[in-house]
Amino acid sequence: MKKFYLMLLLVVGMVVLAACSSGDEEASGGSGSEGSSDLDTITAWAWDPAFNIAALEKAKEAYDGDGEYEVNVIENAQDDIIQKLNTGLSSGTTNGMPNIVLIEDYRAQSFLQAYPDAFHPLTDVISSDDFADYKIATTSYDGEQYGLPFDSGVAALYVRTDYLEEAGYTVEDVTNITWQEYIEIGKDVKEATGKNMLTLDPNDLAQVRMMIQTNGSWYVDEDGSTPNLAGNETLEKAFETYKEMMDADIAKIVSDWSQFVGAFNSGDVASVPTGNWITPSVKQAADQSGNWAVVPMPRLDMDGAVNASNLGGSSWYVLNVDGKEQAADFLLNTFGSNPDLYQTLVKDIGALGTYSPAAEGDAYAVEDEFFGGQQLITDLSTWTDEIPGVNYGLHTYAIEDILVTGMQDYLNGAELTTVLENVQGQAEAQLK
Amino acid sequence: MREQSTKKGELDLPVSLRYKETKRQKTGVFFRRKVGWLFVIISIIAISIFNFYPMVQAFLLSFQSGMGANLEYVGFDNWQRLFGDPTFIAALTNTSIYLLIQVPLMIVLALFFSVLLNDPKLKFKGFFRIAIFLPCVTSLVAYSVVFKYLFGIDGIINQFLLNFGFISQTINFLADPFWAKVVIILAITWRWTGYNMIFYLAALQNVDKSIYEAARIDGANSIQQFFQITVPMLKPIILFTSITSTIGTLQIFDEIVNITNGGPGNATISISQYIYNLSFEYTPDFGYASTVSYVIVILVVILSIIQFRVAGEKK
Repeated sequence: MKKFYLMLLLVVGMVVLAACSSGDEEASGGSGSEGSSDLDTITAWAWDPAFNIAALEKAKEAYDGDGEYEVNVIENAQDDIIQKLNTGLSSGTTNGMPNIVLIEDYRAQSFLQAYPDAFHPLTDVISSDDFADYKIATTSYDGEQYGLPFDSGVAALYVRTDYLEEAGYTVEDVTNITWQEYIEIGKDVKEATGKNMLTLDPNDLAQVRMMIQTNGSWYVDEDGSTPNLAGNETLEKAFETYKEMMDADIAKIVSDWSQFVGAFNSGDVASVPTGNWITPSVKQAADQSGNWAVVPMPRLDMDGAVNASNLGGSSWYVLNVDGKEQAADFLLNTFGSNPDLYQTLVKDIGALGTYSPAAEGDAYAVEDEFFGGQQLITDLSTWTDEIPGVNYGLHTYAIEDILVTGMQDYLNGAELTTVLENVQGQAEAQLK
Repeated sequence: MREQSTKKGELDLPVSLRYKETKRQKTGVFFRRKVGWLFVIISIIAISIFNFYPMVQAFLLSFQSGMGANLEYVGFDNWQRLFGDPTFIAALTNTSIYLLIQVPLMIVLALFFSVLLNDPKLKFKGFFRIAIFLPCVTSLVAYSVVFKYLFGIDGIINQFLLNFGFISQTINFLADPFWAKVVIILAITWRWTGYNMIFYLAALQNVDKSIYEAARIDGANSIQQFFQITVPMLKPIILFTSITSTIGTLQIFDEIVNITNGGPGNATISISQYIYNLSFEYTPDFGYASTVSYVIVILVVILSIIQFRVAGEKK
């Protein structure tokens, strides 16, 4: 009997000890590596080793302030960052949170509003005039500037000059056009070359998003939360245009990213309307060098619409945890005030920032042989300044999931106003 | 006569000895119970902390709503919202379709394969068993991605159908609401049939061969044997597999996210994916998301009760 209790004591003791020691390990490991409480190191999260992670590394090299701290760059998939931020911030614990985090612009408002006080305002740190207007609208909330704008999602139309030529068009013919003109050209291109004009993914309405932003409209009202679908003339026009494209049979249907990239790499489509971050993927097909040109995004055929739009893009945020001063100092010293860093980013990574003073640098004026000697970066940053600013609000992806179904109904012959009223009702019901 | 004497012999034992015997037995029972509790206490505590406590919290959460950390109690609003939420209804419908078509299909297939593989005259039994079971050891994400490419617009399935003249132009399986569901069902069936088959095989090995022998002598053919002997003998296993498969299908997530990502439209979205979207894809509303999770809990409970009633009434 005694022996048994002794054994039991031993077992329980071991379990307790094990639990304690593992707990200790976690706690010490947590504070050590995450650096929240340790002011000698600050942590930054981003997701793309070829793009924003690389940009952070360049920023570390470029840092020339007085701060004595290490910047620890950690790579996480974007979905993981969203999950970790959501779970961490909603549980109220700052343990394990980074100091600097990169957030996609479409999601920024949802984080800023869902977790007030979780982010450190940068209003006094950076001067918002130095950045493209449309970025400021998405990265600020309630009068405070929270984000430091990073990459530009300026959208552009990448065209195959050889296919256009075959159909009797020049680059000028596709510059600053409307989507209607684009469709007409697309028909001719298809007739002459047998190639589709573009790819469309029925599950991803990026095309519609880019279209409506050319006219300064979005899925939600100015307040960022009221769905603005029924009676939204810009959205109606975008839907009609989308359907015209489908009806004209100039679009190759794809269902994921690799098919999308595969379509233009293999020369199956004559143009790619998308964000400028596609440049490296376009250039992958080295044998197509010289056959590409980049022109401004077509606009919707409406008064007030401009030939500039945006797709994606992200910004840096500082979390309201220990080390925020260092984090803000680091961002200000690098992405917030160093035009030379942006030259390096363009040259070495191909990342186009939205910091206006950087546009005068040499790297921006480089002629790109792949695009027939075009000064691509200069052009893109000029168009960046023209992008209409819209409040992306809280529900971009939630509404888009509803719209995708609406678009299917519309393409299958439903009345447009009914469809939009439907999706408006659904969105209002879902987004309480 | 002999029986009587032994009984008598027992009674002849001294009273003190009998008493001692029962006492020792009692302490033994008591002691064993204690030991039993001690063995399970650790798991009980762990399950309470990591399972029951979160379940209670999630239940409370299902009566709250709000963005991210700004949650407040809203009473039954979330539950009302459920019934007016077209995405939830789409998710529920899709999940029910998967359930109603896929689970019976898979159970029947698994049963069929296991009976074939149990045939003593079959050669290369090991090979076939491995071949059918192997899908179960593949990673969910890996096989989903493979299925996605198989059924892609220029995937091997389309090329096969095209080359053999079954179709005149490629079918965009993943962009068609009907075919996308078919692909999902095919994928899950491929992945899980072997898993269920193993249960049946194990159970079949416990069925006494003499029963079949007797049936054969009585002139039952193999179809009769299957329905009159095999199926009734496997009833508890069929119940078990259909409950676990039902639960698994209700929670289906990986395949949908990786093959179609819920598309086209919401044609393949499942309840679990909707929960994920509500929490992490859209502006987070953990309250409403846990309401939707509780729908799965309720469905599992109801379906399990029904299955018990239908299949296990004799026990």
